[in-house]
Amino acid sequence: MDRREFIAKLFERARQKAPDAADFACEVCAASDESFEVQIKDGEIYQYNVSDGGGLGFRVLVNGRMGYASTQILDEEAIDLLADGALENAALVESKDRQFLFGGSESYPELKLYEPKLEALSAAEKIEMARTLEKLTLAQDARIEQVEDCAVFSSSEEMLLTNTRGLDVSSKGNLMGAYVSAIARDGDRVNTGFKMAFSMDPDAIDLEKLAKAAAREALDGLEASQAESGEYRVLLRSDVAATLLSTFSGVFSAENAQRGLSRLKGREGEMIADACVTIMDDPHRAGSAASTPFDGEGVATRAKAVVENGRLNTLLHNLKTANKDGVSTTANASRPGYAAPVGVAPTNFYFKPMDVDLEGMIEKVGDGLLITEMQGMHAGANPITGDFSLAAKGFRVRGGARAEAVAQITIAGNFYDVLKNVEAVGGDLEFLSPSVSCFGSPSLLVKKLSVAGK
Amino acid sequence: MVLKSVAEQVLHEALKTGGDFAELFCEDRRSGALGLVDGHVESASTVRRHGAGIRVYNGLNSVYVHTNDTSLSGLVAAARKAADAVSGSAAVGDIHLTQSIAGNLHPILAMPMDVAGARKARLLRDMDLAARAVSPEIRQVRANLIYWDSDVQIANSEGLFTGDRRVYTRMACAAVAEGNGESQSGSASPGAMMGFELFEGRVDVAAQAEKAARQAVTMLHAEPCPAGVMPVVIDGGFGGVIFHEACGHSLEAQAVAFGASEFAGKLGQRIASPIVTAIDDGTLPGEWGSLNIDDEGTPTTRLTLIKDGVLVNYMVDRLNGRRMNMKPTGSSRRQDYTFAPTSRMRNTFIAAGSDDEGEIIATCGDGLYAKSMGGGSVNPVTGEFNFAVAEGYLIRDGKVDKPVRGATLIGKGAEVLKKIDRVGGSMWMAQGMCGASSGSIPTNVGQPMIRVTDMTVGGR
Repeated sequence: MDRREFIAKLFERARQKAPDAADFACEVCAASDESFEVQIKDGEIYQYNVSDGGGLGFRVLVNGRMGYASTQILDEEAIDLLADGALENAALVESKDRQFLFGGSESYPELKLYEPKLEALSAAEKIEMARTLEKLTLAQDARIEQVEDCAVFSSSEEMLLTNTRGLDVSSKGNLMGAYVSAIARDGDRVNTGFKMAFSMDPDAIDLEKLAKAAAREALDGLEASQAESGEYRVLLRSDVAATLLSTFSGVFSAENAQRGLSRLKGREGEMIADACVTIMDDPHRAGSAASTPFDGEGVATRAKAVVENGRLNTLLHNLKTANKDGVSTTANASRPGYAAPVGVAPTNFYFKPMDVDLEGMIEKVGDGLLITEMQGMHAGANPITGDFSLAAKGFRVRGGARAEAVAQITIAGNFYDVLKNVEAVGGDLEFLSPSVSCFGSPSLLVKKLSVAGK
Repeated sequence: MVLKSVAEQVLHEALKTGGDFAELFCEDRRSGALGLVDGHVESASTVRRHGAGIRVYNGLNSVYVHTNDTSLSGLVAAARKAADAVSGSAAVGDIHLTQSIAGNLHPILAMPMDVAGARKARLLRDMDLAARAVSPEIRQVRANLIYWDSDVQIANSEGLFTGDRRVYTRMACAAVAEGNGESQSGSASPGAMMGFELFEGRVDVAAQAEKAARQAVTMLHAEPCPAGVMPVVIDGGFGGVIFHEACGHSLEAQAVAFGASEFAGKLGQRIASPIVTAIDDGTLPGEWGSLNIDDEGTPTTRLTLIKDGVLVNYMVDRLNGRRMNMKPTGSSRRQDYTFAPTSRMRNTFIAAGSDDEGEIIATCGDGLYAKSMGGGSVNPVTGEFNFAVAEGYLIRDGKVDKPVRGATLIGKGAEVLKKIDRVGGSMWMAQGMCGASSGSIPTNVGQPMIRVTDMTVGGR
């Protein structure tokens, strides 16, 4: 069945099934996507994945309660399944928080999220890029004995959000990327280095740079040993700082704060970080899959400083949490997929950079550690308390210069304390891989963190 | 879902450009989730996923295409896309499928999608009440139920035409304790390859919620764990995550086939302490990581990985089996039809040994007792692993002493396996979701209480 026809029938059927509801509205979030990925091993195609798909998520608001259902088949049977499922689910909800379906903003920003040049790139060209990336990586050093993963991928997605209150918005985006993981071996010593790059523009993916960075990471760690246990001044490299921000980004969600799951509850207007810290949420950043003209509820998005010179300006809100706190939504309603319930999430969320590069930041460390990798974020970090205790790799820094490589250590601290203990913010802003949200940071110098080693 | 004649046509189409093996995997999945927070049911959703994946091999290379369109024309179009990426020399013959019906080791009594919403909501409220009753320090409780019913069908160009139905049910309860301006959390999340009969005798939701709440309260009153190198006693159940991370991933053919794993080329060699025997078993009735057949249609097996410290088997899927010249072990798994399958763990555990749990702690001297583990991760190439201790205690002079928070265990798999000097007498398992290249899948981890002579413990 045609999608528009399906949606019209679904709205009508749902209304028929809830004839007595005084307050009734419903909404569809429909997505379709195409993706491509090729993995190369020893010059040959090792994995080749192509997909097209999508689905349709339905939610219904009956007397203030919201129920969800979704499907990947658009047939007559699915109309009843969605209508019945969402209505049954709405009836189970007991929460008294008022829910909303939004009728639409007056205007939406124009963003360039789709690059026709990328659509024109053939599978053969992408395969060739992946082959080149593997070759370049292996050529970096004789000790790079193999490439563990080497891939080029691309995807495009269309999304439609429409409801019975008049909302009807859609967006279309595409993106490509490449990643490589190099294995370096020297006698019994082995180490891996991983690097990934993204862009809407195929010409912006610098394969040589990617190969060099992955090989460098693998080689640097070959000679690593444990550092002594103790407290250190720590420079978190841009990607590590961004990973930390990503892990604890939930503390900025008003939904978590209202549930007592964030210590930032009610602290708007207070200093929560050192004055050198500004954290931005920018939904309009070019070339990011997390950029969007409207949020998961159809509200027009805008850029804002969430933390400005150390002060917490606002938490991130959707319509429900904003209503509960008596403020306006920040247009941070998230829908991690057409089937997912609406929550709260940042868009492009990053520490605002200053101007010192990584080498300059290393000089500022004096004596301490440069951390280039942290692992186990999903287990060793507690997003409620802010505590983390994570496996890490990096370098000792002595006399303001990079010294011996360090591995098999853990770094422990608390995210809220880190915000207050930032001594300097670098200029080397880097973003992690974009999905619903995209996190970024320059390198951050932190006054002290606990290290476990030998 | 798909007729035999349709599958035959699709497989034929997929091999037209000279591929030497083709497979069709169709899935129809219904799932639901119900969540409670602040004492109220807050979200309820129902999801139906439906689609198919087509795989074509050309020697050691593999192409995977997936789509939502499982009509004949949709599948043929997907098969053509896959074939377009292959240029092989194998001759395509007629494909004749023979239906085979896998025996069902996991009969379901109460299909989750048929259980009334009111009963599900009551289970959530039972968790909430039980957790809050533990202490006034419990300030927030999140209770969730998730369940899914996946009907899969697998056909391949060697004539296989089979299917499986997998039903999973799981509860999750997370409790947050607050006091002195601090907060700590505890959780419990048992599940099984079962329907809602899971909650009639096997899992007591209230007892699980109490466990989560007690863990949160204990950790609220715990001091930060001291950092350093020390002996570590790891309790049974989810403690088995150490083996899963430190060793299991490195024994998956995906890591072994290209020689990248630290355990590649070590079959028949001693890789662990002689008191360690480890098993990966997909056949255990009703267990979270069990299957009837794997996602390539191979009947699942019980596989001894390590026998008395000696490496005896890898977990092998079809494609890596070709690379390694080894037979598939019924270990090939995928999250759903959107992923190509590969070798993965099922129910993976260190088998019971003969040591007395009291003696293990009494002879430990000073160390760490990891009573309850969080998750972790590993780099299968270097073997470097890390995992978090959700509930830990210091051991002082052979006695369990005060609780400590924020402990992390790190090390290298090959080294830690050799440092296990005690294996307790009773083994039990716990449930997790394991993420890797073929997606997130249910796996059990397990072990009896074990002791590692020395490990780096992260803390502050």
